[in-house]
Amino acid sequence: MTSIVRSEVNGEARDGIADPRDTLLVYLRDRLGLTGTKEGCSNGNCGTCTVLMNGAPVCACLVLAQEADGARITTIEGVADGNTLHPVQAALIEHGGTQCGFCTPGIVLSAISLLGENLSPDEHEIRHAIAGNICRCTGYDKIVHAIAVAAERMRAPGGTP
Amino acid sequence: MSDGQATGEPVPATRIIGQRVPRIDGGERVTGRAIYAGDLVRPGLLIGAVKRSPHAHARILAIDTSRALALKGVKAVVTAKDFPTIVPGTIIPFGETGADLWVAATIAMARDTVLWVGQPVAAVAAVDAHVAEEALALIDVTYRALPAVISMADALADGAPALHPQHKAKGFDAGATIPPNAGARTLIERGDTAVALANAAATAEIAVDVDTGHQGYIEPHVCVAEADPQGNVTIWASTQGAHQTESQVAGILGLAQSKLKVVPLEIGGGFGGKITTHVEPLAARLAQIAGRPVKMTMSRAEMLAGGSGPPAGARIRMKVGAERDGRLTAIDGHYLVDTGGIPGTATTLLMQASTACYQTPTIRLEGMDVVTNKPRTEAYRGPGGIQAAFAVEQVMDELSLNLGMDPLAFRRKNAAVTGSVMPVGTPFPSIGLTTILDRVAGHPCWTEPLAAGALPRGRGLALGYWRGTSMTSAAQITISGDGRVAVVMGTVDISGTRTTMAQVAAEQLELEVDDVAVVMGDTKASAYSDAAAGSRVGRTMAAAVVDACQDALAQLRRRAAERLQAPEAGVSYARGVFHATGGALAGSISIGELMRQTLSDGAVIGRGVSTKLPFGVEVGAHVVDVEVDPETGRVEILRYTAFQDVGRALNPTAVEGQMQGSVVQGLGWALTEAIDYGADGRVRNASMLDFRMPTALDVPAIDCVIIETPVPGVPYGLRGVGEMPIVPVAAAVANAVRRAIGVRLTKMPMTPERIVGALAARGTS
Repeated sequence: MTSIVRSEVNGEARDGIADPRDTLLVYLRDRLGLTGTKEGCSNGNCGTCTVLMNGAPVCACLVLAQEADGARITTIEGVADGNTLHPVQAALIEHGGTQCGFCTPGIVLSAISLLGENLSPDEHEIRHAIAGNICRCTGYDKIVHAIAVAAERMRAPGGTP
Repeated sequence: MSDGQATGEPVPATRIIGQRVPRIDGGERVTGRAIYAGDLVRPGLLIGAVKRSPHAHARILAIDTSRALALKGVKAVVTAKDFPTIVPGTIIPFGETGADLWVAATIAMARDTVLWVGQPVAAVAAVDAHVAEEALALIDVTYRALPAVISMADALADGAPALHPQHKAKGFDAGATIPPNAGARTLIERGDTAVALANAAATAEIAVDVDTGHQGYIEPHVCVAEADPQGNVTIWASTQGAHQTESQVAGILGLAQSKLKVVPLEIGGGFGGKITTHVEPLAARLAQIAGRPVKMTMSRAEMLAGGSGPPAGARIRMKVGAERDGRLTAIDGHYLVDTGGIPGTATTLLMQASTACYQTPTIRLEGMDVVTNKPRTEAYRGPGGIQAAFAVEQVMDELSLNLGMDPLAFRRKNAAVTGSVMPVGTPFPSIGLTTILDRVAGHPCWTEPLAAGALPRGRGLALGYWRGTSMTSAAQITISGDGRVAVVMGTVDISGTRTTMAQVAAEQLELEVDDVAVVMGDTKASAYSDAAAGSRVGRTMAAAVVDACQDALAQLRRRAAERLQAPEAGVSYARGVFHATGGALAGSISIGELMRQTLSDGAVIGRGVSTKLPFGVEVGAHVVDVEVDPETGRVEILRYTAFQDVGRALNPTAVEGQMQGSVVQGLGWALTEAIDYGADGRVRNASMLDFRMPTALDVPAIDCVIIETPVPGVPYGLRGVGEMPIVPVAAAVANAVRRAIGVRLTKMPMTPERIVGALAARGTS
């Protein structure tokens, strides 16, 4: 039986109807129209649907919509401040860290989660943070480099959004 | 043997070509605004789903859809009866050879017989995914199971059931015994390899088996189809070729092509797997019947287990021989390629790809595709190249060991050069292989000794070659009222094509990248272009854009001459401004001002079409350091360096992205990726956890060395880029493993289990 999910999505209160079978991924895409979050495998293996739930990265395909009741959700649509890109987003563009773009939203959110905890990650820590996000285009190098560049910029005074 | 330094055209100075221009469409990608077909919602949208065969080989005796149609919320059900019969040999336009529509039709929907587990037998459209799934369970299919052949050995065995009894296998000598399930035989032969091998001072041989892999694009197959009351059909697609999708779907539906429009949206990876259509014809027919739009999305499990076309497994035997001084005297190779349930996977490409880097006085390559009860294989980045190189580059490495020669020196001695004879017997076009090998010889990845570790380590070298293709590309350019430029491409953007074509247009028109918009045209707004495949779009679309720019510039020059009242010959152009000399009115006018004054005199449309461009053959060399744990069989990649001749790097960031992505895909198939078919033909690892693709933690940084030997007759001397760098990867790793632990790995992927097994086998032999 459907129920109402009340949550904070990208800083705004959003109420929506969810079927008990709806995952958070289906709820975000089909019920709220937030299609920036992509589906790659639907069983938590590829990380493409990564969103932040109460600040922590989760695979939206592994969370039921009803579990998001009362939660704070950040999707890719909530990362940039209007047309001002987050440093991770800007660095991905500048350094060739996005090709087909399908895994990119999930990568952005995993990277932001990392940088929220550690603004000086080394290469291994960056690779570890995005190890749950499969990218088939880039070979990861340029993504890792872009995240390192973003971290450096965010460490500068006034660099953290 | 002459030095192979290619003598291409001199490289012209460029302003924007060769710059690291960031993706012009990057902003929409990093914000989630880029639109993929799965993101599209249309009024009244239905959800489609496919019922798939549980049998590897069976006769369909009956399909009863009445229970499904009676389910509330089901709007349409289709089976093969809803599509015209397409017979083998129904050729539709595609590149230089055309494509057999029968293949795409059989992949879309089984008729009478199912040939692999996962082949579609029916499809439904319903109000939501849950109802659609329920409806699939209510479609009653009666099968009579037939004996199945899963491996190539089974398929070729005496008395094996022939999967296509009517198929005439080509390429066999008159009177030869044709094995059951032979697709076609290909023979390339020059000189007498048997004699050469008998007289060789040193020989080496190898037999390898490569498991079926997968392209692994992260975006599943997906489309939205809609039909209007006048009979027009629109498909919003994830495709490598909108025009290819149009011709395939129109053919499979029996629809006039003029009634079908394919709109390419962003493509979340294709790598060869999104050239042939899969769900598109089914969604279109369902939409026609239901009178409502239909979205169809393949699940990851469906994709891995028969819904999509994986790259081919192969069994390859090689024997090579050389003089004492290391000069090659013979290459003998035998290639079996597992084509899956439909014949027609070309073996020639991999036969050539694997041996093209070497000069040899005698060569004999024999190839055959073999039909099995597995999904019909489809293209994957340099199709067949990595499989073939896994054999050839290992046997060449073994020969260098037998000769006591450095593997790089051995390859340098035998490397193909411009004008040397290709496997097919024609002279090599401009090729910079020896330049590459000289660069390897001086590079730290080769000159620095491999530091000892706690576990055995080894360094491997392998070469790669890919011919690529040219086919045809079309572009049109319009000039807006402010003098800025819009390019409409007939191809899709799978690798940053919008950005590189903006660079080409800006270079040609002497404007800035920001002055150029690039659009992927739908099939009614763009002109026919072949699919983005075969490392061709960068080169051939660049040629089309160059032509379109020059055409537009000529039109603009005529206008400028009129405005400036000067003879056309007296009007020069530089950096966006026309200058008149020798006319009544000396002066100048910018494109922007010219267009502002003359826009309503009529549009300026530049036309560009490129066909039969010279091939931009791709060559490269890879060097890898590995560490092998003999206890667990785990291979760690310590260092990886990829060298490649790209002719001219349009955008070095994009080139490196192609190289690095290719290498990591290659490492995946080299070490972990394989589709695991059970004896019944069912896939036992249909998930991304069990079909294990590399993560960021599994691979090191990939160093790229770009070499530029321009191709004559191609704008900027461009070569193909995207396919070659997957070719040498598995062989380079195998050669490194061999030098680390002294054992040759002959099965790919080289899983820990196989490495431990190979060590154990050596221990007991």
